[in-house]
Amino acid sequence: MNALPRLLLATALATCPALMPAAVVAEDLIVGFTLDADTLDPANHRKRETETVIRNIYDGLLTRDPDMRVVPEIAEAMTQVSPTVYDFKIRSGIKFHDGTEMTAEDVKFTLDRVTVEGAMGDGQTSPRQGLMGPVASVEIVDGDTVRITLKEPWPILPAMLPNQQIVSKAFVEANGTAGMATMSNGTGPFKLGEWRKGDAIILQRFDDYYGGAPDIAPVGAACVERVIFKIIPESASRVAALLAGDVHIINELPTFSIAQVKANAGTDVMTVNGTRSFFLAMNLQGEVFDDLKVRQAAAHAIDKDLIIDRILDGTAARIEGILSPDAFGSSELPAVSYDPEKAKALLAEAGYPDGISITMDTEGAFKDTAEAIASMLTNAGIRTTVAVGESAQLTEKWRTAGKPKSGDMYFSSWGNGSLDPFDIFTPTHKTNDRGNSAGYANPALDALLDQAAVEMDAEKRAGMYREAELMINADQPYVYLWVPQDIYGVSKKLSGWAPSADSRINLHDACIN
Amino acid sequence: MSLSRLLERLLQLIPVLLGVSAIAFLMMALTPGDPVQIIIGDQSITPEQEAELRRGLGLDRSLLERFFIFLRNALQFDFGTSYYHRRPVSDVIAERLPATIELSLVALIVALVTAIPLGVLAAIRKNSILDRLATVGSLLGVSLPGFWFGLLLIMLFAVQLQILPVSGRIGYSSEVPTITGFLLIDTLLHRDLAAFGDALRHILLPAITLGLPMTAILMRVTRASMLEVLRQDYVTFADAKGLSRRRVLFRHALKNALIPTVSVAAIETGSLLGGNMIVEAVFGWPGLGRLVVESIFLRNYPLVQAAVLLYAVTYVLLNFVADILYTVLNPRVKL
Repeated sequence: MNALPRLLLATALATCPALMPAAVVAEDLIVGFTLDADTLDPANHRKRETETVIRNIYDGLLTRDPDMRVVPEIAEAMTQVSPTVYDFKIRSGIKFHDGTEMTAEDVKFTLDRVTVEGAMGDGQTSPRQGLMGPVASVEIVDGDTVRITLKEPWPILPAMLPNQQIVSKAFVEANGTAGMATMSNGTGPFKLGEWRKGDAIILQRFDDYYGGAPDIAPVGAACVERVIFKIIPESASRVAALLAGDVHIINELPTFSIAQVKANAGTDVMTVNGTRSFFLAMNLQGEVFDDLKVRQAAAHAIDKDLIIDRILDGTAARIEGILSPDAFGSSELPAVSYDPEKAKALLAEAGYPDGISITMDTEGAFKDTAEAIASMLTNAGIRTTVAVGESAQLTEKWRTAGKPKSGDMYFSSWGNGSLDPFDIFTPTHKTNDRGNSAGYANPALDALLDQAAVEMDAEKRAGMYREAELMINADQPYVYLWVPQDIYGVSKKLSGWAPSADSRINLHDACIN
Repeated sequence: MSLSRLLERLLQLIPVLLGVSAIAFLMMALTPGDPVQIIIGDQSITPEQEAELRRGLGLDRSLLERFFIFLRNALQFDFGTSYYHRRPVSDVIAERLPATIELSLVALIVALVTAIPLGVLAAIRKNSILDRLATVGSLLGVSLPGFWFGLLLIMLFAVQLQILPVSGRIGYSSEVPTITGFLLIDTLLHRDLAAFGDALRHILLPAITLGLPMTAILMRVTRASMLEVLRQDYVTFADAKGLSRRRVLFRHALKNALIPTVSVAAIETGSLLGGNMIVEAVFGWPGLGRLVVESIFLRNYPLVQAAVLLYAVTYVLLNFVADILYTVLNPRVKL
């Protein structure tokens, strides 16, 4: 026998026992997750998936309970001193993962790092500055109270604060912004074990955890010893990993896999109302959709309930305005009925008795739904062709912020993680704003939105958004469609965990049985 | 090949790489889509903050200015900072590259180990059932889309039989300190046989999926060239001399028949890098391919430019290696 075959045989024999699946260590809680974190620095990213991971390592001043109410986390209490001044009393006895005590100094440092221009070092400003509003200054007023002063009233501040996580001043100064990208020292329920880039983020329980928000029971150290975010970008593989028992939670379960996951003995499906509103933008600068009657015809042509039922498997809530039913200021609005005959009549009134031909832009991921909408529009006399484009291209084509645009119709969406109308209503409806893909311009609405953004009386503010919703419901710059639920696949071995509307995957209370 | 000829060939790489850099830069910069808008997404920002973000990324400069900065830095092997990772692009790529190379090499081995014996057997037993099966198999191998074949393997081996994992490079009970970055080698260097087995179990399905089209192509090339060689006079002469069939086939025929196989294999290895993007996504393999695709959609210019350059260098070098191998295997060929 030659040396090579002998060596190969020996290797094969030696690895045989090793090839058998290793005994499963039951304590690891594994999440099959779509995307790796870009960075572990809470101040240096703008991505939801990154924030999902970071929020298991870092806690914020405030957080949200399962009902999406804002509650204190690192702060013990929040007091609004005046329309522009907020005081946060900092909880004592909170430790960072390296064992050092967290102080008001760390909170001030964190908020300065996000809000002050150039504070990230090397002349860089935090990309999260825009999420903190018009902050004028952050000061420590007595030993354990941090005061945020705003340049102008901004009632959304408490709703936006859960998005900022507190870092250790000493740790940042020692490691710099470059070090923060891959190292971490938070106050959250888990500390970083190992980050295998692109593959997994392995987190270990932090035994000295102060317990988290007292409003969210149970309070104490996390249930599981180890949590792993395992990155599986492909949906079919993520579903397979859940079915095979490799992972315990998967995010973004496709609707077509719901039945399969439910039918499998060891797995189930969990849903939560999402925060992303879907709509059809109609180009108001275009030739046909500048006419209200044509826009109304499009709205009457679409049977939203049928699409929600058949294509989205019942996992969406229909909307008649831009706000999701869970958002602040959302209210019952006049519903636009499904009535293709009325749509045809409206088209005829608008001077198109033979109907019109249009193109609808959409991204590949939504092609099926867009095709269904197009066939409904076509039935009602709006002959629609679906054109699939890439996200970045379509954004540039449609979100022109006031510059002239081409195109007829755009099947799109806008997210609203804060569940406050401020960051969905204004960008999509204010004249020339970033997300106003319809090109809608209504000075009365602009004034109302500006007023509502700074109104401190919650009831009055909600009333203003209702008025705004009625305005757009009548003007119909968009056909408002639905807010899909976030769908998760879970193992039946999992307990103590429920999905959250802000896409946070809070694993503090999750256990594996 | 003489040393001066080798140096000359290496020097020819310089204009090629300059050209590729320019194309990589322009391709990204001229593609519609604004990186700043993609980064901000649906979140709130004021126009001043948006301008500040643009300035921070260096995107407020003109195209020409950006191109010269890119060239100047690239010559010093500085490819800039990834817009998303906020770290040097070279670091981000270096973390992901070993996984991609390891997968490509194992796929290459899988392909060579299956394709050459099958191709030889098919040629020797021409028109037998084995030959026909191999031919049909190779047709399927070339035609099956990688993502579909990969998912089928996952459904069978991971979900139904539960003997192999769905995704990843190694389990989480194993901790392997990095030496080379190749897990199969590192685990052996640490004499951790259990971890080696675990890494092998993880790489098996992606390597088979990635290697399948190459296996099919190499098998056909080997079969065809073996048939060609077997018709040569010197093979007939060797047979007539009374040499054993085994000796004729393996010492005389195979050596010559492998020349085209080797050069096709070297060139196809370049295409393994391309196929990686899909296979890496299906198997959650933490390699470069997936990162590059994500970066293209996000218009992460610096990362894509550096990766394209890296792919180009690899491809050019592989062709170079193929040329050298060719001269080694066939001394009549001069470069």
